[in-house]
Amino acid sequence: MKNLLKYEFRKTLSVKLALLGLTAAAEIAFLAALFLNKENLLAISIFLLTMLALGGVMVAGLATILTLHRDMNTKQSYMLFMTPNSCYRILGAKVLENALSLLLCGGCFFALGTLDITLLFARAGSLKELWEAIGSMLRTINSELTLDVPNMLSFTIGLLASWFSAVTAACLADVISSALLNGKKGNGIIAFLIFLALSFLVSWLQQTLTSSVTSIQPRFLLQALIALVLSGGMYFATARIMETSLSV
Amino acid sequence: MQYDPNIPIWLQVMTRIKTDIVTGKSPPSGKLPGARDLALAYSINPNTAARVYQELEKEGLCETRRGLGTFVTADAGRVKALRDEMARKAAEDYLTRLSLLGFTREEALNKLQEDF
Amino acid sequence: MLESIDLTKKYGTKTAVENVSLRLTPGHIYAMLGPNGSGKTTWMKMAAGLVKPTSGQILFDGTPVGIESRKKIAYMSTEPYFYTWMTVRDVGKYYGDFFEDYSPEQYGRLLAEMELTEDLKTSTLSSGMMAKLKIAVTLARDAHVYMLDEPFNGIDLLARDAIRGCILSRFSPDRILLLSSHLVEEMEAIADQAVFIKAGRLAETADLEDLRTREGVSMADRYRTIFGHEEATK
Repeated sequence: MKNLLKYEFRKTLSVKLALLGLTAAAEIAFLAALFLNKENLLAISIFLLTMLALGGVMVAGLATILTLHRDMNTKQSYMLFMTPNSCYRILGAKVLENALSLLLCGGCFFALGTLDITLLFARAGSLKELWEAIGSMLRTINSELTLDVPNMLSFTIGLLASWFSAVTAACLADVISSALLNGKKGNGIIAFLIFLALSFLVSWLQQTLTSSVTSIQPRFLLQALIALVLSGGMYFATARIMETSLSV
Repeated sequence: MQYDPNIPIWLQVMTRIKTDIVTGKSPPSGKLPGARDLALAYSINPNTAARVYQELEKEGLCETRRGLGTFVTADAGRVKALRDEMARKAAEDYLTRLSLLGFTREEALNKLQEDF
Repeated sequence: MLESIDLTKKYGTKTAVENVSLRLTPGHIYAMLGPNGSGKTTWMKMAAGLVKPTSGQILFDGTPVGIESRKKIAYMSTEPYFYTWMTVRDVGKYYGDFFEDYSPEQYGRLLAEMELTEDLKTSTLSSGMMAKLKIAVTLARDAHVYMLDEPFNGIDLLARDAIRGCILSRFSPDRILLLSSHLVEEMEAIADQAVFIKAGRLAETADLEDLRTREGVSMADRYRTIFGHEEATK
């Protein structure tokens, strides 16, 4: 398993390095702008960092899906499937790689974001007032909706877990397409529809099962838990289909 | 070594080894390579190589000593007989070929004397 | 023993392998022969556990092929399959990471034999060098079965001798070697059994020295007899 995981990280390495490089560049721009008081650059770099944080997590998930697709549909599939490993392990390494990447990526951006916001407020007090103004506005909608770290963190966790379930759903859809519908007309479209249906199911269950929970933080966390449990189920279904029906 | 794919490979390799024995390249009592090495040296299937030694043994041209390997026979008389056998075979081939060209046995023998 | 029983593989409406029952026993080098698309590659991929049969069975030592058999069966596909970021060294490490029977020393020897160096990037290799690398890394395993699909493809005449030597050096009475090739002549002397596959079906199996002794016929001759008509009508 250790070896499988190692190669899954290696396969998605270039994407991660690119992301890291871009983030480092944007962060340097941000810091430079902050200390040299370049407002335009500051605005641009904040925009870039926000995009990178949102896009980075997306890209980490997409990299996993693309790698799986390549590992089933090109000659490179032999590399993986000729090794004495069950599909549960092979897919497990991929899912684990994705989970760790999302956690790492999400964790880093969360920490970086917290740091940058703190720095920003220290340099420009007026921004802190603006931030608080937004906060009090939100509070009028819901008294629990405060812009503090625990709230943001549980929101981030909920977001990451949901995205993780979307990635596992995409893996399941892709495996169904490659293993069961292989060579059939319109299998790409069918796979996409399966993905949409699964994603819908996940969010429907998230909403329905947490509708009685009114508190924001537990609700986010419960939704995250539901997403993770469903991801686990989808992982087993995917691995089983691979084990019984996948020809590469 | 190039092989004629229509003739058993073991026969072709065997003939080659016999030639080596007759010319002294593989001297009496000399050790021969193991079947595996023979296969590699001649680029042939190892089962074919094993067959070569079986046939050579059958003809009394070599013997396998358990744990030691395969050796050319120590019997100088047997080697001499092999030499005669092979010479006779070559002569027969010559006569057969010329008879295909319409030469009688006498004509063929005379031609040999005239030309060489 | 590697055995297929009534093995069939269909891709949609196309049948790649049809009811092939074939038994390969240790101590032999098998030449699997047939024109392109006759089903050789599909049979091998099923034996390697990469392709799932539509019906029938493929057994290694009595058990259906799977995770356990992959530990003992070394398969080399025709097409290059290494990750593009890999160097020759990385390829060896990958095999070392996944196959207990892989020997780095053997890999080193085979690379030297094939005149390849570890620093070469696989993405820059010529097709001939890639073909040699595939053979080197596959033969670097101490497997029970070696299945090489088209080992002579893309390899020049001189290097073929070296390849034949490497393949022969892997022979042992408890191993099965299975080679497929369009270059029938290349295998005349190294194979002892021939398996002819025609249009997905097993056409004939033959002991080659037997064929030569009894009928004065070479493997290439037999190939022409079996497939000649098909080739002529193409």
